[in-house]
Formats: sequence, structure tokens, C-alpha cells
Amino acid sequence: MGTEIPMTTPDPKAFSLDINDPEDAELIEYFLGELPDRVDSITIAASHDDFEELGRIAHQLKGAAPGFGFPEIGSAAASLEGEIRSLDDTTKDIETVRAQVEGLVSLCQSYINKKP
Amino acid sequence: MHDEHTDHLDTTPIVLLVDDSQFVHRLLDARLRSESIHLIGEFDGKTGFERAVSSKPALILLDLDMPVMDGFETLRVLKEDQTTRNIPVIVLSGMNSSQEKVTAFDLGAVDFISKPFELTELRSRVRSSLKMHALLEMLSQKAQIDGLSGLFNRSYFDDRLKEEYDRAIRHGHPLSIALIDLDHFKSINDTFGHPAGDTVISGVANIIIQESRSIDIACRYGGEEFVIIMPETDPHQAYTLCDRIRTHTESMSWASHPSRSVTLSVGVAGECDGSSISCTPSALVELVDRNLYQAKQGGRNTVKATYMSGSPIDIAKAG
Repeated sequence: MGTEIPMTTPDPKAFSLDINDPEDAELIEYFLGELPDRVDSITIAASHDDFEELGRIAHQLKGAAPGFGFPEIGSAAASLEGEIRSLDDTTKDIETVRAQVEGLVSLCQSYINKKP
Repeated sequence: MHDEHTDHLDTTPIVLLVDDSQFVHRLLDARLRSESIHLIGEFDGKTGFERAVSSKPALILLDLDMPVMDGFETLRVLKEDQTTRNIPVIVLSGMNSSQEKVTAFDLGAVDFISKPFELTELRSRVRSSLKMHALLEMLSQKAQIDGLSGLFNRSYFDDRLKEEYDRAIRHGHPLSIALIDLDHFKSINDTFGHPAGDTVISGVANIIIQESRSIDIACRYGGEEFVIIMPETDPHQAYTLCDRIRTHTESMSWASHPSRSVTLSVGVAGECDGSSISCTPSALVELVDRNLYQAKQGGRNTVKATYMSGSPIDIAKAG
């Protein structure tokens, strides 16, 4: 696991949304419900070195995750997107991208595992 | 999301979200639920544009980074199309560079919201754009209305005449127009005062509205002159309609001058078949003006109607 999340049970303070608010709780639940599919897509795209698809998923997570109360996922996705977009095909540092993918995936996984 | 087909009859504004991310649709659906809007959505630029044409939203929230047809291209298409040109567009983007923002505004966006969304800011910007749109709509409607008579004004007439004229020619349909002038109006103003004159103007405007049909376009042409565009109407039918306005006006009793009736003269010109129209909109106006002049010369309180060629219509046929 690349990133340590310092909690073992769902803690409202871990979200920037309020889990006791019905609307916030609905969004958190939706996001966590969708996240495993996204993680699978990231893993598959990474295994095929499909940087375009990786960039697309990272871009969407960057824009959406903070709104669902997961700013850390948003930041990790932003770093990954930046890494992919800043490098052209000839100089692409695949190892750095892989490390960032791993970080993002493990971060997502840690939230999925702690799903309320 | 709401379905505009089930409840579009109320006045709740439709907001169209065009974004390829299901997350964003879900997020905005929840976050804008408490707003008085119907949120509808599409996932790419092409269907987003088509939905804008068919649903006529009051606001479009448009993502920039979409596959196939990106947000800038979609914005360009929206602003080039007559039916969607005036719909305000707020650009949503995670790119957030100044250049992106400048390009979005240059292409006609009214606002820019950065992703990730700050909730209060998102709602405020949506509300503000909807309010501005409603005010602009009201203003543009008011700019077409004559304050005293409540009829359309002269500039609206100029625009609509050209449209109706082109339509009649294109489809070969009938078209007539009428120019109405109150007889001896100056003496009403001089004798009974301008408030009495104003009452006559708005009273005759009411008669015109009562006697004309929903397809007719009644306008105040200026001073004591009115003009009616009558689509799908041949000059015989136009004559009959205008003669009803004439007799109705003549029979009216006016509170500020009960013993002084008001009469009007009318010039009418039209064609039964739009494909035989050979003059221009301005030549048509000149012709009805000539017919009006002849109605005045013929003793006033009368309707003078001709074909666009200038040849007189058969009054007996008009009934």
C-alpha cells in the first residue's frame, strides 16, 4: 500500500462532506459504489500502458472526487493527470506514472475497504 | 434528473448539463436539487447541442474536456445556431488556465466554474445566470412593445414584415397587410386634450386586438397609425377584417367625448398566392400607404383594398 490512511472506521471528519446529512451521505455512498469500477479501469489501462484512457479517468476523478468529499483522491488523480500530460511520448517516464497509478489505486482501495 | 416532457408546462427553467462524466451529472443532480430548475443532461457535445435545440433550456452548463466534440467546439456550434445563440452557457472545467477562460468568454460563455465545484459558488453562479437570462428576455420583449397601445412597435413590424413576406413567397401562401389611420385625430387632441387622445389610441388598439386573429401581427406604426400583418390571409379576407375594425371603432362611445365619434381609414394590400408576389416589403408598405391615401381622399371612414399589383379587389366577393 503506497498511502496510509490514518483511520480504521468511517469517520465523518475524514470526509469534507457530512455523513450525517442525507444528501451528503447519498453522494458519498454513490461515489464509493462507483469507485471499484474506476479502480478496475485504471488498473486495466495501466497494464496496457493506455495513457490516454488513464489521463481521461484521472481527469474525471480530479474534477469530481472533491465534490463527493474525497479531496485526497482528487489530488492524487490531479498529480497522475499532470504527470501523463506533461510528458510527451518519447520521454514519458513510465515508472513515475506507474508509481502514481499505484498511489491512486491504493488510496481508492483504502476508502473502498472502509466503506460504511 | 427531471424529464422535461412530464412537467415542462410550468415556468420552471430548464438547465442542460453537458458533461461526459457520470460523476458530475450525479453531483449536480444532488447539489442543484433544491434549486427551482429542471436539470436535464447529455454526455457529449453533439447530443448536447441537439438537446439544446429541442429543449430550449434557460441555461447550459458545459464541460470543456469531452471526447469527440470538445466544449469549445460545442460552444462555437451553440453560438452559431440561431435557435441556441441566446442561451447563456456556463463553462465547467478542471483545466482552469487563464487562456481557457479567455477563450471560453471569447466564444460567448457568460461564466466559468472551476472543477472541483465549490457548492455555494456553483449555486450562486447558476442563479445569477438564470436571473440575468430572465431579465434579458423580459427586456427584449419590452423593447418590441409600444408602451401606450400595448401592440408591437414599429421596429418589430419591420422585422416581422420581412419574415412573413419571405415565408409567403417561399411557401406560395397568401399575405396581406393593412395600414390604419385615425381620422382627424389632431382635432381630438386639440379639442379634448392629449389624455383623451391617448385613450383613443389605446381604445382603438384594443378594438384591433379584439377583431384580429391570433395569427395577425398588430403593431403601432407611429402617432395615430397602426399596421396589421395578416399571414395566410388574402386581400378579400383582410378587407372583411379591417371593415370590422372600422365599424367597431365607429360605434364606440368615448367617455371623455361622448358626442364625438372616432372613425378611421384603412389601406389594405395583399396577394392570394405568395408565389405571385413580385414587389418588395417596402414597396408593399408604399402601396398600402397609397391605398390609405385614397381611402382618405374618398371621404374617410372607409377601407380601400387592392392586390399587390394595385388592381382593386371585388368588394362583393369580400362580403
